[in-house]
Amino acid sequence: MLPIAYSELAQIFRNRAVLISNLIMPLAVAAFFIYSRDTFTEIGSLGYIAAVLVFTVGAFSLYTTAVTTLSARRQDLFLKRLRSTAAGDAAILSGLTLPVALTALVQVVVILGVFAGVSGRPADVALLVVAILATFAMMLALALATAGLTGSPEQAQVTTLPISLVTIAVTSWVGITGTESLTLLKRLLPGGSATELIVNTWNGGVPLSDSLPLLGPTFGWVVVAVVLALRLFRWEPRR
Amino acid sequence: MEQAETSRAPSSPAVEVDRLNVSYGEFQAVKDLTFRVEQGELYALLGTNGAGKTSALEVIEGHRKASSGTVQVFGTSPADRRAVRPRMGIMLQESGFSADLTAAESVRLIGRLSGRSDSVDRVLGIVGLTHKAATRVGQMSGGEKRRLDFATAVYGRPELIFLDEPTTGLDIQSRDALWAAVGELRDNGSTVILTTHYLEEAQQYADRIGLMHQGTLRSQGTVPELTRTLPAAIQFSLSPGAPVPPFGTTGPAGPAYQIETFELQADLKRLLDWADLHDVDLHGLSAAPTRLDDVFRAIETDPVPTPTR
Repeated sequence: MLPIAYSELAQIFRNRAVLISNLIMPLAVAAFFIYSRDTFTEIGSLGYIAAVLVFTVGAFSLYTTAVTTLSARRQDLFLKRLRSTAAGDAAILSGLTLPVALTALVQVVVILGVFAGVSGRPADVALLVVAILATFAMMLALALATAGLTGSPEQAQVTTLPISLVTIAVTSWVGITGTESLTLLKRLLPGGSATELIVNTWNGGVPLSDSLPLLGPTFGWVVVAVVLALRLFRWEPRR
Repeated sequence: MEQAETSRAPSSPAVEVDRLNVSYGEFQAVKDLTFRVEQGELYALLGTNGAGKTSALEVIEGHRKASSGTVQVFGTSPADRRAVRPRMGIMLQESGFSADLTAAESVRLIGRLSGRSDSVDRVLGIVGLTHKAATRVGQMSGGEKRRLDFATAVYGRPELIFLDEPTTGLDIQSRDALWAAVGELRDNGSTVILTTHYLEEAQQYADRIGLMHQGTLRSQGTVPELTRTLPAAIQFSLSPGAPVPPFGTTGPAGPAYQIETFELQADLKRLLDWADLHDVDLHGLSAAPTRLDDVFRAIETDPVPTPTR
Protein backbone atom coordinates (compact mmCIF):
# COMPACT_ATOMS: atom_id res chain seq x y z
CA MET A 1 0.00 0.00 0.00
CA LEU A 2 2.71 2.48 0.96
CA PRO A 3 4.53 2.44 -2.41
CA ILE A 4 1.22 3.20 -4.12
CA ALA A 5 0.45 5.96 -1.61
CA TYR A 6 3.89 7.49 -2.08
CA SER A 7 3.57 7.51 -5.86
CA GLU A 8 0.07 8.93 -5.61
CA LEU A 9 1.29 11.75 -3.37
CA ALA A 10 4.01 12.56 -5.90
CA GLN A 11 1.39 12.69 -8.64
CA ILE A 12 -0.86 15.04 -6.67
CA PHE A 13 1.95 17.52 -6.20
CA ARG A 14 3.02 17.25 -9.86
CA ASN A 15 -0.43 17.82 -11.33
CA ARG A 16 -1.27 21.50 -11.25
CA ALA A 17 -4.98 21.04 -11.95
CA VAL A 18 -5.38 18.60 -9.08
CA LEU A 19 -3.26 20.77 -6.83
CA ILE A 20 -5.48 23.80 -7.45
CA SER A 21 -8.79 21.96 -6.99
CA ASN A 22 -7.48 19.89 -4.10
CA LEU A 23 -5.60 22.52 -2.12
CA ILE A 24 -6.12 26.05 -3.32
CA MET A 25 -9.90 26.10 -3.83
CA PRO A 26 -10.86 24.77 -0.37
CA LEU A 27 -8.31 27.08 1.25
CA ALA A 28 -9.81 30.07 -0.58
CA VAL A 29 -13.34 29.12 0.47
CA ALA A 30 -12.16 28.56 4.05
CA ALA A 31 -10.40 31.94 4.08
CA PHE A 32 -13.66 33.60 3.00
CA PHE A 33 -15.69 31.92 5.75
CA ILE A 34 -13.13 32.70 8.43
CA TYR A 35 -12.82 36.32 7.26
CA SER A 36 -16.63 36.71 7.28
CA ARG A 37 -17.08 34.77 10.52
CA ASP A 38 -19.05 37.52 12.25
CA THR A 39 -21.68 37.50 9.52
CA PHE A 40 -21.97 33.72 9.51
CA THR A 41 -22.03 33.56 13.31
CA GLU A 42 -25.08 35.82 13.25
CA ILE A 43 -26.79 33.50 10.74
CA GLY A 44 -25.77 30.29 12.53
CA SER A 45 -23.01 29.89 15.07
CA LEU A 46 -19.26 29.33 15.29
CA GLY A 47 -20.04 25.61 15.18
CA TYR A 48 -21.89 26.14 11.92
CA ILE A 49 -18.82 27.78 10.40
CA ALA A 50 -16.66 24.89 11.64
CA ALA A 51 -19.07 22.41 10.02
CA VAL A 52 -19.03 24.32 6.73
CA LEU A 53 -15.22 24.35 6.81
CA VAL A 54 -15.07 20.59 7.45
CA PHE A 55 -17.55 19.83 4.66
CA THR A 56 -15.89 22.21 2.22
CA VAL A 57 -12.67 20.26 2.63
CA GLY A 58 -14.56 16.96 2.74
CA ALA A 59 -16.53 17.67 -0.43
CA PHE A 60 -13.79 19.23 -2.55
CA SER A 61 -10.39 18.17 -1.25
CA LEU A 62 -11.45 14.66 -0.35
CA TYR A 63 -14.58 13.53 -2.17
CA THR A 64 -14.16 15.24 -5.55
CA THR A 65 -10.42 14.64 -5.70
CA ALA A 66 -10.81 10.96 -4.79
CA VAL A 67 -13.45 10.43 -7.49
CA THR A 68 -11.33 12.30 -10.05
CA THR A 69 -8.22 10.36 -9.09
CA LEU A 70 -9.86 6.93 -9.20
CA SER A 71 -11.59 7.57 -12.52
CA ALA A 72 -8.37 8.97 -14.02
CA ARG A 73 -6.35 5.97 -12.85
CA ARG A 74 -8.98 3.63 -14.28
CA GLN A 75 -9.14 5.49 -17.59
CA ASP A 76 -5.32 5.33 -17.89
CA LEU A 77 -5.50 1.59 -17.11
CA PHE A 78 -3.29 2.31 -14.11
CA LEU A 79 -5.73 0.39 -11.90
CA LYS A 80 -5.41 -2.62 -14.18
CA ARG A 81 -1.64 -2.20 -14.10
CA LEU A 82 -1.66 -2.20 -10.29
CA ARG A 83 -3.89 -5.27 -10.32
CA SER A 84 -1.32 -7.05 -12.50
CA THR A 85 0.95 -7.05 -9.44
CA ALA A 86 0.71 -9.00 -6.19
CA ALA A 87 -1.03 -6.09 -4.43
CA GLY A 88 -4.56 -6.84 -3.21
CA ASP A 89 -7.59 -4.73 -4.13
CA ALA A 90 -7.91 -3.22 -0.66
CA ALA A 91 -4.22 -2.26 -0.63
CA ILE A 92 -4.55 -0.64 -4.07
CA LEU A 93 -7.60 1.42 -3.11
CA SER A 94 -6.10 2.36 0.25
CA GLY A 95 -2.85 3.38 -1.41
CA LEU A 96 -4.62 5.52 -3.99
CA THR A 97 -6.90 7.28 -1.51
CA LEU A 98 -4.58 7.60 1.48
CA PRO A 99 -2.67 10.67 0.18
CA VAL A 100 -5.95 12.40 -0.73
CA ALA A 101 -7.34 11.64 2.73
CA LEU A 102 -4.18 12.73 4.52
CA THR A 103 -3.97 15.93 2.49
CA ALA A 104 -7.58 16.72 3.37
CA LEU A 105 -6.92 15.91 7.02
CA VAL A 106 -3.91 18.23 7.15
CA GLN A 107 -5.96 20.95 5.46
CA VAL A 108 -8.83 20.67 7.90
CA VAL A 109 -6.45 20.70 10.87
CA VAL A 110 -4.74 23.84 9.57
CA ILE A 111 -8.02 25.57 8.67
CA LEU A 112 -9.75 24.76 11.95
CA GLY A 113 -6.55 25.67 13.80
CA VAL A 114 -6.63 29.11 12.25
CA PHE A 115 -10.37 29.37 12.89
CA ALA A 116 -9.89 28.38 16.54
CA GLY A 117 -7.07 30.90 16.79
CA VAL A 118 -9.28 33.81 15.74
CA SER A 119 -12.58 32.72 17.29
CA GLY A 120 -11.76 30.54 20.27
CA ARG A 121 -11.09 26.82 20.67
CA PRO A 122 -13.83 24.17 20.36
CA ALA A 123 -15.59 22.87 23.45
CA ASP A 124 -14.81 19.19 22.90
CA VAL A 125 -11.69 18.65 20.77
CA ALA A 126 -11.64 14.86 21.14
CA LEU A 127 -15.21 14.40 19.94
CA LEU A 128 -14.60 16.95 17.18
CA VAL A 129 -11.73 14.78 15.94
CA VAL A 130 -14.02 11.73 15.96
CA ALA A 131 -16.70 13.69 14.09
CA ILE A 132 -14.21 14.82 11.44
CA LEU A 133 -12.87 11.28 10.97
CA ALA A 134 -16.40 9.91 10.65
CA THR A 135 -17.29 12.62 8.15
CA PHE A 136 -14.18 11.87 6.08
CA ALA A 137 -14.89 8.13 6.20
CA MET A 138 -18.35 8.85 4.83
CA MET A 139 -17.05 11.13 2.06
CA LEU A 140 -14.37 8.61 1.10
CA ALA A 141 -16.89 5.75 0.93
CA LEU A 142 -19.21 7.93 -1.16
CA ALA A 143 -16.24 8.69 -3.42
CA LEU A 144 -15.64 4.97 -4.03
CA ALA A 145 -19.30 4.51 -4.94
CA THR A 146 -19.37 7.60 -7.17
CA ALA A 147 -16.16 6.52 -8.91
CA GLY A 148 -18.05 3.44 -10.06
CA LEU A 149 -20.45 5.68 -11.95
CA THR A 150 -17.76 7.97 -13.33
CA GLY A 151 -16.13 7.03 -16.60
CA SER A 152 -13.49 9.72 -16.79
CA PRO A 153 -11.99 12.59 -14.78
CA GLU A 154 -13.97 14.97 -16.98
CA GLN A 155 -17.20 13.19 -16.03
CA ALA A 156 -16.20 13.52 -12.38
CA GLN A 157 -16.87 17.26 -12.63
CA VAL A 158 -20.53 16.37 -13.16
CA THR A 159 -20.98 13.15 -11.18
CA THR A 160 -19.54 14.65 -8.00
CA LEU A 161 -21.87 17.66 -8.05
CA PRO A 162 -24.97 16.04 -6.52
CA ILE A 163 -23.28 14.74 -3.38
CA SER A 164 -20.99 17.79 -3.03
CA LEU A 165 -23.90 20.19 -3.30
CA VAL A 166 -26.27 18.11 -1.19
CA THR A 167 -23.82 17.71 1.68
CA ILE A 168 -22.90 21.41 1.66
CA ALA A 169 -26.60 22.35 1.45
CA VAL A 170 -27.50 19.96 4.27
CA THR A 171 -24.66 21.42 6.35
CA SER A 172 -26.03 24.91 5.88
CA TRP A 173 -29.60 23.83 6.49
CA VAL A 174 -28.80 21.91 9.68
CA GLY A 175 -26.15 24.40 10.81
CA ILE A 176 -28.46 27.40 10.45
CA THR A 177 -31.86 25.98 11.42
CA GLY A 178 -30.77 23.28 13.88
CA THR A 179 -32.56 19.98 14.30
CA GLU A 180 -35.45 20.96 16.53
CA SER A 181 -37.81 20.58 13.57
CA LEU A 182 -37.69 17.75 11.03
CA THR A 183 -35.17 16.10 13.32
CA LEU A 184 -35.18 12.62 11.78
CA LEU A 185 -35.03 13.85 8.19
CA LYS A 186 -32.18 16.25 8.90
CA ARG A 187 -30.19 13.63 10.76
CA LEU A 188 -30.68 10.97 8.09
CA LEU A 189 -29.62 13.17 5.19
CA PRO A 190 -25.95 12.73 4.21
CA GLY A 191 -23.94 15.04 6.42
CA GLY A 192 -26.91 16.01 8.60
CA SER A 193 -25.98 14.24 11.81
CA ALA A 194 -22.27 14.90 11.19
CA THR A 195 -23.00 18.62 10.96
CA GLU A 196 -25.03 18.54 14.17
CA LEU A 197 -22.21 16.70 15.91
CA ILE A 198 -19.56 19.17 14.72
CA VAL A 199 -21.76 22.11 15.80
CA ASN A 200 -22.25 20.49 19.22
CA THR A 201 -18.56 19.78 19.72
CA TRP A 202 -17.56 23.29 18.72
CA ASN A 203 -20.24 25.24 20.55
CA GLY A 204 -20.50 22.91 23.56
CA GLY A 205 -23.43 22.59 25.93
CA VAL A 206 -24.68 19.22 24.68
CA PRO A 207 -24.11 16.13 26.83
CA LEU A 208 -21.88 13.42 25.38
CA SER A 209 -24.74 10.92 25.64
CA ASP A 210 -26.78 13.08 23.27
CA SER A 211 -23.90 13.68 20.84
CA LEU A 212 -22.48 10.18 20.48
CA PRO A 213 -25.59 8.64 18.83
CA LEU A 214 -25.17 11.23 16.08
CA LEU A 215 -22.29 9.11 14.77
CA GLY A 216 -24.82 6.40 13.88
CA PRO A 217 -26.32 7.90 10.71
CA THR A 218 -22.85 8.89 9.47
CA PHE A 219 -21.60 5.33 9.82
CA GLY A 220 -24.87 4.19 8.25
CA TRP A 221 -23.94 6.24 5.17
CA VAL A 222 -20.50 4.65 5.22
CA VAL A 223 -22.10 1.20 5.09
CA VAL A 224 -24.54 2.22 2.33
CA ALA A 225 -21.71 3.77 0.29
CA VAL A 226 -19.43 0.76 0.72
CA VAL A 227 -22.21 -1.62 -0.37
CA LEU A 228 -22.84 0.59 -3.41
CA ALA A 229 -19.10 0.75 -4.13
CA LEU A 230 -18.83 -3.04 -4.00
CA ARG A 231 -21.56 -3.26 -6.62
CA LEU A 232 -20.57 -0.30 -8.78
CA PHE A 233 -16.80 -0.02 -8.66
CA ARG A 234 -15.00 -1.06 -11.82
CA TRP A 235 -11.29 -1.63 -12.25
CA GLU A 236 -11.22 -1.18 -16.01
CA PRO A 237 -12.94 1.23 -18.38
CA ARG A 238 -16.10 0.04 -20.07
CA ARG A 239 -15.33 -1.21 -23.59
CA MET B 1 -1.13 -30.72 -35.52
CA GLU B 2 -3.04 -31.22 -32.33
CA GLN B 3 -6.74 -30.81 -32.57
CA ALA B 4 -7.31 -32.03 -29.09
CA GLU B 5 -5.40 -32.36 -25.88
CA THR B 6 -2.29 -34.20 -26.78
CA SER B 7 -0.99 -36.84 -24.47
CA ARG B 8 2.22 -35.33 -23.10
CA ALA B 9 4.78 -36.43 -20.66
CA PRO B 10 3.37 -35.94 -17.18
CA SER B 11 5.25 -32.82 -16.08
CA SER B 12 4.07 -29.90 -14.01
CA PRO B 13 2.76 -27.37 -16.51
CA ALA B 14 3.19 -23.64 -16.04
CA VAL B 15 -0.36 -23.04 -17.22
CA GLU B 16 -3.24 -25.45 -17.53
CA VAL B 17 -6.56 -24.37 -19.02
CA ASP B 18 -9.44 -26.82 -18.92
CA ARG B 19 -12.77 -26.24 -20.65
CA LEU B 20 -12.62 -22.49 -20.11
CA ASN B 21 -15.68 -20.47 -21.01
CA VAL B 22 -15.93 -16.68 -20.80
CA SER B 23 -19.23 -14.94 -21.47
CA TYR B 24 -20.31 -11.31 -21.52
CA GLY B 25 -24.05 -11.48 -21.07
CA GLU B 26 -25.35 -13.50 -24.00
CA PHE B 27 -22.09 -13.27 -25.92
CA GLN B 28 -19.70 -16.16 -25.42
CA ALA B 29 -16.18 -14.86 -26.03
CA VAL B 30 -14.34 -18.08 -25.17
CA LYS B 31 -15.85 -21.51 -25.73
CA ASP B 32 -14.56 -24.67 -24.09
CA LEU B 33 -10.89 -23.71 -24.37
CA THR B 34 -8.41 -26.35 -23.30
CA PHE B 35 -4.64 -26.20 -23.54
CA ARG B 36 -1.54 -26.35 -21.40
CA VAL B 37 1.79 -24.57 -21.50
CA GLU B 38 4.81 -26.44 -20.27
CA GLN B 39 7.47 -24.81 -18.14
CA GLY B 40 10.16 -23.19 -20.26
CA GLU B 41 7.94 -23.14 -23.34
CA LEU B 42 7.06 -20.14 -25.50
CA TYR B 43 3.41 -20.59 -26.44
CA ALA B 44 1.83 -18.17 -28.90
CA LEU B 45 -1.91 -17.71 -28.77
CA LEU B 46 -2.95 -16.30 -32.11
CA GLY B 47 -6.31 -15.44 -33.52
CA THR B 48 -8.42 -13.12 -35.56
CA ASN B 49 -9.76 -9.92 -34.04
CA GLY B 50 -12.42 -10.89 -31.51
CA ALA B 51 -11.23 -14.50 -31.43
CA GLY B 52 -11.31 -14.46 -27.64
CA LYS B 53 -7.58 -14.61 -26.98
CA THR B 54 -7.48 -11.45 -24.85
CA SER B 55 -10.44 -12.68 -22.77
CA ALA B 56 -8.72 -16.04 -22.32
CA LEU B 57 -5.44 -14.37 -21.46
CA GLU B 58 -7.12 -12.09 -18.91
CA VAL B 59 -8.55 -15.11 -17.10
CA ILE B 60 -5.16 -16.82 -17.11
CA GLU B 61 -3.52 -13.64 -15.80
CA GLY B 62 -6.15 -13.40 -13.07
CA HIS B 63 -7.71 -10.17 -14.32
CA ARG B 64 -11.06 -11.73 -15.13
CA LYS B 65 -13.22 -14.52 -13.73
CA ALA B 66 -14.04 -17.52 -15.86
CA SER B 67 -17.71 -18.17 -16.55
CA SER B 68 -16.91 -21.86 -16.23
CA GLY B 69 -13.94 -24.17 -16.49
CA THR B 70 -10.67 -24.06 -14.61
CA VAL B 71 -7.35 -22.31 -15.05
CA GLN B 72 -4.27 -23.16 -13.04
CA VAL B 73 -0.99 -21.29 -13.04
CA PHE B 74 1.82 -23.24 -11.39
CA GLY B 75 -0.91 -25.41 -9.91
CA THR B 76 -2.68 -22.48 -8.29
CA SER B 77 -5.69 -20.40 -9.22
CA PRO B 78 -4.52 -17.15 -10.89
CA ALA B 79 -7.08 -15.32 -8.74
CA ASP B 80 -4.73 -15.92 -5.81
CA ARG B 81 -2.64 -12.89 -6.69
CA ARG B 82 -0.44 -13.05 -3.61
CA ALA B 83 0.66 -16.60 -4.49
CA VAL B 84 0.93 -16.34 -8.25
CA ARG B 85 1.88 -12.79 -9.18
CA PRO B 86 5.40 -12.83 -7.71
CA ARG B 87 6.11 -15.58 -10.23
CA MET B 88 4.61 -13.85 -13.26
CA GLY B 89 5.29 -10.68 -15.23
CA ILE B 90 2.53 -9.18 -17.33
CA MET B 91 2.97 -6.92 -20.33
CA LEU B 92 -0.48 -5.50 -20.98
CA GLN B 93 -1.83 -4.74 -24.43
CA GLU B 94 -2.10 -1.07 -23.47
CA SER B 95 0.43 0.63 -21.29
CA GLY B 96 -1.47 1.66 -18.15
CA PHE B 97 1.08 3.99 -16.67
CA SER B 98 0.49 7.21 -14.82
CA ALA B 99 1.55 10.18 -16.92
CA ASP B 100 2.96 12.09 -13.94
CA LEU B 101 5.40 9.38 -12.81
CA THR B 102 8.84 9.02 -14.36
CA ALA B 103 9.97 5.88 -16.15
CA ALA B 104 12.18 4.87 -13.22
CA GLU B 105 9.42 5.54 -10.68
CA SER B 106 6.95 3.48 -12.72
CA VAL B 107 9.29 0.49 -12.92
CA ARG B 108 10.20 0.82 -9.24
CA LEU B 109 6.53 0.97 -8.18
CA ILE B 110 5.32 -1.95 -10.27
CA GLY B 111 8.47 -3.91 -9.50
CA ARG B 112 8.10 -3.50 -5.75
CA LEU B 113 4.42 -4.43 -5.91
CA SER B 114 5.24 -7.52 -7.97
CA GLY B 115 7.01 -9.07 -4.99
CA ARG B 116 10.25 -9.57 -6.92
CA SER B 117 13.51 -7.72 -6.56
CA ASP B 118 15.72 -6.33 -9.28
CA SER B 119 17.63 -3.24 -10.32
CA VAL B 120 15.58 -0.52 -12.00
CA ASP B 121 18.67 0.52 -13.97
CA ARG B 122 19.13 -3.03 -15.23
CA VAL B 123 15.63 -3.42 -16.62
CA LEU B 124 15.61 0.07 -18.11
CA GLY B 125 18.93 -0.84 -19.73
CA ILE B 126 17.42 -3.96 -21.29
CA VAL B 127 14.87 -1.86 -23.16
CA GLY B 128 17.24 1.02 -23.91
CA LEU B 129 15.47 3.52 -21.68
CA THR B 130 18.28 4.33 -19.26
CA HIS B 131 18.47 7.88 -20.64
CA LYS B 132 14.73 8.28 -20.08
CA ALA B 133 14.79 7.20 -16.43
CA ALA B 134 13.89 10.68 -15.17
CA THR B 135 11.38 11.43 -17.95
CA ARG B 136 7.71 11.46 -17.06
CA VAL B 137 5.69 8.79 -18.84
CA GLY B 138 3.37 11.45 -20.25
CA GLN B 139 6.30 12.82 -22.24
CA MET B 140 7.31 9.45 -23.70
CA SER B 141 6.40 8.15 -27.16
CA GLY B 142 4.09 5.18 -27.70
CA GLY B 143 7.03 2.92 -28.53
CA GLU B 144 8.89 4.00 -25.40
CA LYS B 145 5.82 3.23 -23.29
CA ARG B 146 5.67 -0.28 -24.81
CA ARG B 147 9.32 -0.77 -23.90
CA LEU B 148 8.65 0.50 -20.40
CA ASP B 149 5.79 -1.97 -20.19
CA PHE B 150 8.15 -4.77 -21.16
CA ALA B 151 10.65 -3.57 -18.55
CA THR B 152 8.04 -3.89 -15.79
CA ALA B 153 7.06 -7.36 -17.05
CA VAL B 154 10.62 -8.71 -16.89
CA TYR B 155 11.52 -6.97 -13.61
CA GLY B 156 12.91 -9.60 -11.28
CA ARG B 157 13.16 -12.25 -14.03
CA PRO B 158 9.72 -13.85 -13.47
CA GLU B 159 9.16 -17.54 -14.16
CA LEU B 160 6.14 -16.84 -16.37
CA ILE B 161 5.81 -13.84 -18.67
CA PHE B 162 2.71 -12.74 -20.53
CA LEU B 163 3.43 -10.66 -23.62
CA ASP B 164 0.26 -9.20 -25.12
CA GLU B 165 1.19 -7.87 -28.56
CA PRO B 166 4.61 -6.83 -27.27
CA THR B 167 6.12 -5.40 -30.43
CA THR B 168 3.19 -3.34 -31.67
CA GLY B 169 4.49 0.18 -32.30
CA LEU B 170 8.15 -0.76 -31.87
CA ASP B 171 10.87 -0.02 -34.39
CA ILE B 172 13.03 -2.86 -35.67
CA GLN B 173 15.92 -2.24 -33.26
CA SER B 174 13.55 -2.24 -30.30
CA ARG B 175 11.92 -5.46 -31.52
CA ASP B 176 15.29 -7.13 -31.83
CA ALA B 177 16.26 -5.95 -28.33
CA LEU B 178 12.97 -7.21 -26.93
CA TRP B 179 13.32 -10.66 -28.51
CA ALA B 180 16.93 -10.85 -27.35
CA ALA B 181 15.76 -10.17 -23.81
CA VAL B 182 13.03 -12.80 -24.14
CA GLY B 183 15.65 -15.25 -25.39
CA GLU B 184 17.83 -14.54 -22.37
CA LEU B 185 14.89 -15.11 -20.02
CA ARG B 186 14.05 -18.37 -21.75
CA ASP B 187 17.65 -19.48 -21.39
CA ASN B 188 17.10 -19.07 -17.66
CA GLY B 189 13.98 -21.21 -17.81
CA SER B 190 11.19 -18.64 -18.04
CA THR B 191 7.91 -19.61 -19.68
CA VAL B 192 6.38 -17.13 -22.12
CA ILE B 193 2.82 -16.77 -23.34
CA LEU B 194 2.60 -14.52 -26.35
CA THR B 195 -0.18 -12.97 -28.36
CA THR B 196 0.73 -11.11 -31.49
CA HIS B 197 -0.61 -10.09 -34.87
CA TYR B 198 2.86 -10.55 -36.37
CA LEU B 199 2.70 -14.16 -37.52
CA GLU B 200 6.34 -14.16 -38.53
CA GLU B 201 7.30 -13.49 -34.90
CA ALA B 202 5.20 -16.41 -33.70
CA GLN B 203 6.65 -18.57 -36.45
CA GLN B 204 10.19 -17.60 -35.50
CA TYR B 205 10.05 -17.65 -31.70
CA ALA B 206 7.17 -19.87 -30.54
CA ASP B 207 7.64 -23.50 -29.58
CA ARG B 208 3.95 -24.10 -30.09
CA ILE B 209 1.11 -22.04 -31.46
CA GLY B 210 -2.57 -22.12 -30.63
CA LEU B 211 -4.93 -20.71 -33.24
CA MET B 212 -8.22 -19.27 -31.98
CA HIS B 213 -11.22 -18.22 -34.01
CA GLN B 214 -14.65 -17.20 -32.78
CA GLY B 215 -13.87 -18.20 -29.20
CA THR B 216 -12.60 -21.69 -29.91
CA LEU B 217 -9.13 -23.15 -30.22
CA ARG B 218 -9.20 -24.43 -33.78
CA SER B 219 -5.78 -26.05 -33.76
CA GLN B 220 -2.46 -26.01 -31.99
CA GLY B 221 0.99 -27.42 -32.47
CA THR B 222 4.48 -26.57 -33.67
CA VAL B 223 4.84 -24.62 -36.89
CA PRO B 224 5.65 -27.75 -38.94
CA GLU B 225 2.68 -29.55 -37.35
CA LEU B 226 0.36 -26.71 -38.25
CA THR B 227 1.62 -26.10 -41.77
CA ARG B 228 1.60 -29.72 -42.80
CA THR B 229 -2.20 -29.76 -42.47
CA LEU B 230 -2.53 -27.70 -45.63
CA PRO B 231 -1.12 -28.54 -49.04
CA ALA B 232 1.76 -26.59 -50.52
CA ALA B 233 1.21 -25.00 -53.92
CA ILE B 234 3.03 -25.29 -57.25
CA GLN B 235 2.00 -22.59 -59.70
CA PHE B 236 2.80 -22.07 -63.38
CA SER B 237 1.38 -20.75 -66.63
CA LEU B 238 1.19 -22.56 -69.97
CA SER B 239 1.49 -21.37 -73.55
CA PRO B 240 -1.79 -21.39 -75.49
CA GLY B 241 -2.58 -24.89 -76.74
CA ALA B 242 -0.03 -26.60 -74.51
CA PRO B 243 -1.17 -29.80 -72.79
CA VAL B 244 -2.14 -29.60 -69.14
CA PRO B 245 -0.35 -31.85 -66.64
CA PRO B 246 -2.74 -34.73 -65.94
CA PHE B 247 -2.19 -34.91 -62.17
CA GLY B 248 -4.04 -32.71 -59.70
CA THR B 249 -3.87 -29.56 -61.75
CA THR B 250 -6.51 -26.94 -61.14
CA GLY B 251 -7.11 -23.78 -63.04
CA PRO B 252 -6.30 -21.79 -64.78
CA ALA B 253 -7.14 -19.20 -62.15
CA GLY B 254 -6.17 -16.06 -63.97
CA PRO B 255 -3.10 -16.92 -66.06
CA ALA B 256 -1.84 -19.62 -63.65
CA TYR B 257 -2.44 -23.28 -63.08
CA GLN B 258 -1.95 -24.74 -59.63
CA ILE B 259 -1.09 -28.10 -58.15
CA GLU B 260 -1.79 -28.52 -54.42
CA THR B 261 0.41 -31.11 -52.81
CA PHE B 262 1.48 -32.55 -49.48
CA GLU B 263 4.60 -33.97 -51.19
CA LEU B 264 6.10 -30.81 -52.60
CA GLN B 265 9.49 -32.14 -53.64
CA ALA B 266 8.19 -35.35 -55.23
CA ASP B 267 5.35 -33.66 -57.11
CA LEU B 268 7.61 -30.86 -58.30
CA LYS B 269 10.04 -33.43 -59.71
CA ARG B 270 7.12 -35.28 -61.31
CA LEU B 271 5.90 -32.06 -62.94
CA LEU B 272 9.34 -31.15 -64.25
CA ASP B 273 9.82 -34.68 -65.64
CA TRP B 274 6.43 -34.48 -67.34
CA ALA B 275 7.25 -31.05 -68.80
CA ASP B 276 10.58 -32.40 -70.13
CA LEU B 277 8.91 -35.41 -71.66
CA HIS B 278 6.23 -33.34 -73.40
CA ASP B 279 8.50 -30.42 -74.19
CA VAL B 280 6.22 -28.00 -72.33
CA ASP B 281 7.43 -24.66 -70.98
CA LEU B 282 6.21 -23.93 -67.43
CA HIS B 283 6.14 -20.15 -67.34
CA GLY B 284 6.58 -18.41 -64.00
CA LEU B 285 7.03 -21.70 -62.19
CA SER B 286 6.94 -21.35 -58.41
CA ALA B 287 6.75 -23.85 -55.57
CA ALA B 288 5.96 -22.51 -52.12
CA PRO B 289 5.66 -24.45 -48.87
CA THR B 290 2.64 -23.79 -46.69
CA ARG B 291 3.12 -20.80 -44.40
CA LEU B 292 1.53 -20.02 -41.09
CA ASP B 293 -0.42 -17.26 -42.84
CA ASP B 294 -2.08 -19.91 -45.01
CA VAL B 295 -3.12 -21.94 -41.97
CA PHE B 296 -4.37 -18.77 -40.30
CA ARG B 297 -6.44 -17.80 -43.35
CA ALA B 298 -7.81 -21.31 -43.71
CA ILE B 299 -9.00 -21.26 -40.12
CA GLU B 300 -10.45 -17.80 -40.56
CA THR B 301 -12.58 -18.93 -43.50
CA ASP B 302 -13.48 -22.31 -42.00
CA PRO B 303 -17.06 -21.98 -40.75
CA VAL B 304 -16.97 -25.26 -38.85
CA PRO B 305 -15.00 -25.27 -35.61
CA THR B 306 -12.69 -28.20 -35.25
CA PRO B 307 -13.29 -29.91 -31.92
CA THR B 308 -10.64 -28.92 -29.41
CA ARG B 309 -11.12 -31.88 -27.11
